[in-house]
Amino acid sequence: MKIINFFIEIIKGIIFGFRDMIFGVGKLFAAIGRFIFEFGKAFKNGDWKVKLSVLFMGFGHFTRHEIIKGILIQIYQIVMLYLISFVGFPYLAKFNTLGTVEREVTFDLATMKNIENDYDNSFLILLFSIITILAILALVFTWMKNVIRCKELMDMEKEGKHINSFREDLRSLLNEKFHVTLLSLPIIGIITFNVVPLCVLIAVAFTNYDKRHLTPTHLFTWVGFDNFKRIFTSSITSTFGYSFRKILVWTLVWAVVATFTTYFGGIFLAMFINNKDTKLKKLWRTVFVVSMAVPQFVSLLLVKNMFKNQGIVNTLCAKVGITELLYKIHLIPTENYIPFLTNANWAKFTIIMINIWVGIPYLMMIATGILMNIPSDIQESARIDGATKFQAFRKITMPYILNVTAPYLVTSFVGNINNFNVIFLLTDDVYVTTDQKLANSSAREVDLLITWLYRLTQDESNYKMASVIGILVFIICTFFTLIAFKRVTSTEREETFQ
Amino acid sequence: MKKRLLALTMVVAMAASLVAGCGNSSKKEEDTTGSTELPEVSLTMWGSENDQEILREMADAFIEKYADQATITITLDVESESTCKDTILTDVEAAADVFAFADDQLNELVQAGALQEVTLNADTVISDNGGEDSGSVQAASYDGKLYAYPMTADNGYFMYYDSSVFTEEDVKTLDGMIAAAKAAGKTIAMDLANGWYLYSFFQGAGLELTLNDDGVTNTCTWNATDTDPTGVEVAQAILDAVADGVFVSLGDTDIVSGIQAGTVCAAVSGTWNSTTISEAWGDNYAATKLPTYTVDGEQVQMSSYAGYKLVGVNAYSDNVGYAMLLAQWITNYDNQVYRFEQKGYGPSNVEAASSDAVAANPAIAALSLQSAYATVQRVGGNFWDPAATLGQILANGNPDGTDLQELLDTAVSGIEAAVE
Repeated sequence: MKIINFFIEIIKGIIFGFRDMIFGVGKLFAAIGRFIFEFGKAFKNGDWKVKLSVLFMGFGHFTRHEIIKGILIQIYQIVMLYLISFVGFPYLAKFNTLGTVEREVTFDLATMKNIENDYDNSFLILLFSIITILAILALVFTWMKNVIRCKELMDMEKEGKHINSFREDLRSLLNEKFHVTLLSLPIIGIITFNVVPLCVLIAVAFTNYDKRHLTPTHLFTWVGFDNFKRIFTSSITSTFGYSFRKILVWTLVWAVVATFTTYFGGIFLAMFINNKDTKLKKLWRTVFVVSMAVPQFVSLLLVKNMFKNQGIVNTLCAKVGITELLYKIHLIPTENYIPFLTNANWAKFTIIMINIWVGIPYLMMIATGILMNIPSDIQESARIDGATKFQAFRKITMPYILNVTAPYLVTSFVGNINNFNVIFLLTDDVYVTTDQKLANSSAREVDLLITWLYRLTQDESNYKMASVIGILVFIICTFFTLIAFKRVTSTEREETFQ
Repeated sequence: MKKRLLALTMVVAMAASLVAGCGNSSKKEEDTTGSTELPEVSLTMWGSENDQEILREMADAFIEKYADQATITITLDVESESTCKDTILTDVEAAADVFAFADDQLNELVQAGALQEVTLNADTVISDNGGEDSGSVQAASYDGKLYAYPMTADNGYFMYYDSSVFTEEDVKTLDGMIAAAKAAGKTIAMDLANGWYLYSFFQGAGLELTLNDDGVTNTCTWNATDTDPTGVEVAQAILDAVADGVFVSLGDTDIVSGIQAGTVCAAVSGTWNSTTISEAWGDNYAATKLPTYTVDGEQVQMSSYAGYKLVGVNAYSDNVGYAMLLAQWITNYDNQVYRFEQKGYGPSNVEAASSDAVAANPAIAALSLQSAYATVQRVGGNFWDPAATLGQILANGNPDGTDLQELLDTAVSGIEAAVE
C-alpha cells in the first residue's frame, strides 16, 4: 500500500508541477500585458511633460523637482543608445549570418608582423549580439517604466503630495527600499554570469560550431534544429542518439543510487555514533570528518591509482585469492586482475562504492546535527509506551530527519546528475569503452551527460552537440528541481511525525 | 558545473579578445614612433615540464643574439606536448606564441588555423632536416607547405626488452618473444587500446589508414575482405597473440611500473621511457625494432608511426616574425645537439643525427632500425575513439564473441565517419 501511495505522490507531483509551470508562464505573459497597458494609459493621460519623456527619458523627473534624477536618467539613455548603436549594432547587423569574412593574413617582412584583414569572428558576433539584445530589452523596459513613473509624478504633483529629493531617495535605499540595495548586486551577477552564458549556450545549439568551424579562423552559422535531430536519431556513422539514450539511463540510475546510498549510509553512521552505548564518540566523528577534509580531487586520484588493473588493491586481491574466486564464479573475465575501473559493470560498481565512501561523512555531519535536535520527550514517551528501538526509528527518527533534509535530498539528486568530479577523476585515461557505437560518438558506458559534454568540448571541440546536451541536462535538472521542491517542501506534512 | 564552465569560457574568451584588441593597437603606435628605439617584443613559449630549464637557457641565448634588433622578453610555461592541441583549440588567441607539440596534432592545428605557415627561412629549415622528402619535414608540412619546425625525431615506438630473458633470435618474431616470456613467467606489454599502437599490426599487413583531401575525414581499409591478408585475419592474429595472457595491453604508466616491478620483460614504447627502463634493467637493457607477427601462418613485419616533436608558431601571435625566429633557434643544429647531450632526445637535424654519440644510444638505434617500417602520421580526429575501442575489445580477447568482420566494419564506419 505504502509503495502505491508513494508512486501516486510522484505522479501527482509531476502533474501539479506541470500545472504550476503552465500557470507560471501564463502569469508572466499577463504581467507583461498589464505592464504595456499601464504604459499606454500613462502615455495617453499624461500631460506634455510626460509625453516628452518618451523622447527624453527623465524629462518628467527633471521638470518636477527631481533634477539630479532626471539628469542621471538622461545620461543613462544617451550612454545606452550610444553603446547599442555604435558598439552593439555592428555585431547585431551580422547576427543573421554570424559573419561572412574569413581571416586572411600575409606576413610582412619589414615589420616582422602578420597583416590581417578585417575578419569576422562568429563567436564574438553571437556573444555581443546577445548582450546587445538584452541591453535593448533593458532599455525598452526602463523607458516604459520611466514614462509610467513620470505620470505618477504628475499625479503626485496634482494632489500636492511630497516629492522626494535626490538625497531623500538615496536615504530610502538604506531604509524602506533596502531590499533593492541588497538584491541589485546578486541580480547583476546572475545576469552576467548565468543569463548571458546561458543564452549563448542555447544559441550555439542551433549553429554548426564544431571542429570544422572553429573561431577565430573559421566561421560558423545557423543550422536550425539539425543538432537536436542528431541527438535523438542514430545511424551507422552518427550514433549520438544511441549514446544519448544509454548515457541518460545511466545518469539517472547513478543519481538515484548515489543519492540514496550516501543519504541512508550517512544517517545510519550518525545513528551508530550517536548511540548511547558507543564509546569515544568524538574520536569516531573526527575520523570520518578527516576524510572530508582531504580534498576530493586528491583522494579520488589516489583511489584511481589504487584500483587500477595493476594497482595495489588488485595485488592484494590476487595474493589473498579473491581474484581467483571471482574468476571461478565467472564474475571477472580474466584470472589476472579484477577490472575495477576497466570493465563497464565493474566500473559502475566501483564508482558507486567509492562515492559512498566519499559522500557519507558529509551526510553524517548533517544527520548528527539533526539527531541531536530530536525532542527527547517524544523518544521518551515512545519508550514508555513500549516501542522497540526499530519502531522508534521508523516512526520518529526517520520521519523527522526526512522532513528536515528533504530539500537537501532534492538538491543532492540534481547535484549527482551533474556529479562531474567522481566520474571524471576516476575514469579519465583509465576506462576505454568496448561498445563501438558509443565510441563512434566519443561516449563511454560510465559517462554521465556532463562528463560526455566535457569531453565533447575539450577533446573533440564539438561545441554544438555539447550545447544540445547542455540544454537537455538543464531541462532535466529544472524538471526535477521544480517538481520535487514543490512537493517535498510543502509544509502540510510538517506535523505528521508527531 | 556546465554553466560555470561555460561562463568561465565566455569570460576568458571576452577577456582574451579585449586583450588581443588592445595589444594590436598599442603595437601599431610603437611602430610609428620606434624607428630609432628598439621595438619591444614579448613572447610566450610552451614546452614540456621536463624541458623548462633547457628551454630557458636557449631562450636567454636567443634574447642575447637578437639584442641589437629588439628588446625581447620570453615567458615560459608548462604545456605537455601531448595535450598542446587541446589547449590551443580551446582558445587560439590566448595560446603561447611558440609551442612544442607532437606531430600527430599538426593536421588539426592547421585545420583550425592555429599554425603560422613558416614564411621565414623555410628553405633552411627544410634542408637542415634532410630535404622535402625526409620524414620530419613531411611530418611538419601540410599540403606542401611547411607549418612547423622539426625538433626531435624520436617520438615513435619500438621494442624494449630484457636481454636476460630474450636472445637476439627471440626478438625477431612475436611468437618467439611470447614463448621466451612464457618460459620466464613474465609478460610483454603494449598499449593495444590505443589507435596509435594498434596501427602497427594493420599497417604492417598492408591495410591502410589515410587522411582524405578534406584534411578531416579518414579512409580506412582495416575491414577489407579482398586483400591478402584480410582485415579479419589481422584481427584474428592479434587475438591469437593475446590468447596466452603473455602479450598484454597496458597503458604507458603501467608499462613503466610493470617493468620496475619486474613483471614486464618486454614492452612497446618510445624514447620518453628510455631512462627509467635502462635504470630498471641495468646491463640487460636492450632495444630493437618491432618483431614480426604471424598472420594466417605467415610472418608479417609490424609497422609503426614515425613520431616527431615539432615546434609551432601561433598564427595569432602579435610578433609572428620573432616567434618564427625563436622557433627556428630552439630547433637549430646547436640546440638539437645540446638537447641530445642533456636529455637524450633524438635529433631531427640530419647533421646532428649522424653523430656517433647518437648512433650509440640503444633506444635511438632501435628507432632508426624501425624507421624503415615506419610511416608519417596523418589521421583525422575520428580515428582515435573507435580504434581504441577496437583495440580494447581485441586485447580482452573479444569476450562477447562478436563476428570479427562485424567488429571491424563498425570500427571502420566510426573511423571514416564525417566530422559532425
